[in-house]
Amino acid sequence: MDPFVAWLKTTSLSQAIVLTRWVWPLCETLHFIGLSLVVGVVGFFDLRLMGFMKRIPVVAVRDLMPFALAGFTLNLITGIIFLIGLPEQYVHNRAWWMKVLFLVVAGGNAAIFERWVGARAAMVGANEDTSAGAKLIGAASLFAWFGVLYWGRMLPFIGNAF
Amino acid sequence: MADFTAWLEGTGIATWTRESGSIWAYPTILTLHTIGLGIVVGASAVLDLTLLGYAPRLPLPSLRPLFRVIWWSFALNALTGVVLFMADATVKSHQIVFYVKLTLIALALWNTALVRRAVFGGPNVEPASASTVTSGGRRLAAVSLVLWAAAITAGRLMAYL
Repeated sequence: MDPFVAWLKTTSLSQAIVLTRWVWPLCETLHFIGLSLVVGVVGFFDLRLMGFMKRIPVVAVRDLMPFALAGFTLNLITGIIFLIGLPEQYVHNRAWWMKVLFLVVAGGNAAIFERWVGARAAMVGANEDTSAGAKLIGAASLFAWFGVLYWGRMLPFIGNAF
Repeated sequence: MADFTAWLEGTGIATWTRESGSIWAYPTILTLHTIGLGIVVGASAVLDLTLLGYAPRLPLPSLRPLFRVIWWSFALNALTGVVLFMADATVKSHQIVFYVKLTLIALALWNTALVRRAVFGGPNVEPASASTVTSGGRRLAAVSLVLWAAAITAGRLMAYL
């Protein structure tokens, strides 16, 4: 890992990210806007899957999902920019690996939903109940995304890499 | 003013937050502030995007609970925000961008109250469906998205300016 980190830091892209004054604050701002979209839209969808706000048909909430995807894409891009800029700050940090782990859990959970549960859940109309599987996936998603948020915010405080 | 902020910074809670080194002090309070931000802005975004017509099958009356979610998460952030301010009061009280942030949040919350009145009416009034939201209601929703994004920007810039 360390030779790769050392090489990455010598690249002109990495240096530009760190040395251009406005890049880091701008990316941080976009990262927070992106996280709000993910928390809001995915959280709303998860709560409906879990059985809250039953008056809403599941598909009606799903219509907002492109905004969650946009927020996630924004955060993936800005996150990669942070990683390229200061790789040693992240790859030696326990909290960062926990964040990656929770992202993998959230992603895997979403993939399971899409593959096996999503089509049936989408047919759940107003005042109808989702399956036990959908409820479990909704709860797992909520847990995983708050985990991502927790470990991300804890990056400077756990692991001493900053 | 300088005396007051110095006193705030010297209080027990401010000193503990800043200097204890406990994971439950500054790190956890900051994390709660970030979670609250995600919920306030996220729930507002769901409301605004629906009013703008991006979720046409979503019955508006069922969005009413979102206002309570927004207010409770805001209460969490007001509380954690006060503690975070106290811990660093002499510095933050001199940051122009801090006052910009407070102003933007006040405007965004006021705007949320306006959305509630314009679209959701009184407590016993059934709001119209998303397709019949007036252009005034849609304008408020668009303004809300802009204000929250601006508030986040000002908040983030506090760490840099």
